[in-house]
Amino acid sequence: MSLTKDDLRIALIQANPHLSRYNPLPRILFYDDFDQGINGWVELTGNHNGDLTRIREITRDLRPPQLSNATFFDVGTHGSVNGVYSMKLATRPKAGHMSQAIKRMTFVKPGLVQLETYFTFKSEQSFNWSDAEKAAWNGNQDPSETHFGEFTFSNDNCEDHNGARYHCALRYVNADEHGKLIHKWMYKTSLQTSTKMQMAGMVKPPEDYHVQSPDDWKEIPGGYQPLCYNEIPTKINWHYLRWIWDTRTRRNVELQVNNNVMDLRDIPVPVYDHAYSGLSHLLNFCIDVRTRRNIRNFLFLDSILVSVDW
Amino acid sequence: MRHSMTAVLEKSETYTSNFDTEPYEVGWASEARWFIRIQKIAGEDTVLRAYPQISPDGLFWCDEGSEPIVMPKEGLYSLALREFGQWLRLRCELAGKSSSVMVLIYLAMKE
Repeated sequence: MSLTKDDLRIALIQANPHLSRYNPLPRILFYDDFDQGINGWVELTGNHNGDLTRIREITRDLRPPQLSNATFFDVGTHGSVNGVYSMKLATRPKAGHMSQAIKRMTFVKPGLVQLETYFTFKSEQSFNWSDAEKAAWNGNQDPSETHFGEFTFSNDNCEDHNGARYHCALRYVNADEHGKLIHKWMYKTSLQTSTKMQMAGMVKPPEDYHVQSPDDWKEIPGGYQPLCYNEIPTKINWHYLRWIWDTRTRRNVELQVNNNVMDLRDIPVPVYDHAYSGLSHLLNFCIDVRTRRNIRNFLFLDSILVSVDW
Repeated sequence: MRHSMTAVLEKSETYTSNFDTEPYEVGWASEARWFIRIQKIAGEDTVLRAYPQISPDGLFWCDEGSEPIVMPKEGLYSLALREFGQWLRLRCELAGKSSSVMVLIYLAMKE
């Protein structure tokens, strides 16, 4: 029996304790283990002219990511899947507030791009339950779960000198602003408002970073998926996520979250009708968390692996 | 090579009353330095005092014990800390009449 190049590649990945829980495409573009530092992830901030008060409100305060050992008041340090540290995104305790981290790359040639990660999500421990929350607590379902709003995986793609630009965005809505559990994956149906669009008066300042109107989201077919919140705000369970998109077709391809594999090929992705300069071959990776209550929401990423078929 | 990282915790925000910075995790770092840049200061006898605070859990806080950073005018101020546990924040007190400050606050950390 002779081994092919691909057999050997897969065998090496499966023998590596860090990589064997991932399913990379042929070329690993980067593997970010947050035990090794922040790895190029940084707070997204809006464009400005040096005067930070000129940053648009929606992109003014997206908070710096943190290297977290996931310590909680009742159990101490939880750590991460491997090692101690994960990257944590934390909102302010203010309804509607979002925290987003971004990693900025460029692409060598068009093709498939796949982002994989192990993540977990929590709302901050609250000691001030409402009377309804106190009455509803049954020792299993905890009000804390209803305090967690949503998180979104997105990208920013710009082609070459033509300036064609688009964002894909996939959002998990855990609970709405009233605390009703939704548990659905969504995709966006309108353009992300850019600084250029807002300065030109093309659109109103957005309430939702990713879309022009907060209602511009649709459920992904097969997107209903309760995740493992695990009852109270201090128990974290890590989830596998794999998202693939194609910069040749300007489309999402697939989203896998644990057992749920969602086909995204027919989902439309809005493309700007105007060009952007200075962004040749832009390939940005973005992850955010948004609270819908006056309670901090947290998203933890153990590690992130991005691979391509170039 | 030692890891290092800087977080910008307040970006030209204007405050007219006392405030705390958001909790920030520093368990991986052995040293940290606050930088506060007062960009604008207005009012009568306005002084901003920043007290470093520590926490075991990001929920409950106490003063770290260092003398506060006292900032009566525009400029850059700094304070270094060690042996601070898992979390840091600043408790900021704004004194004076009709006072306001615009601040940039950085936390620079090293392994």
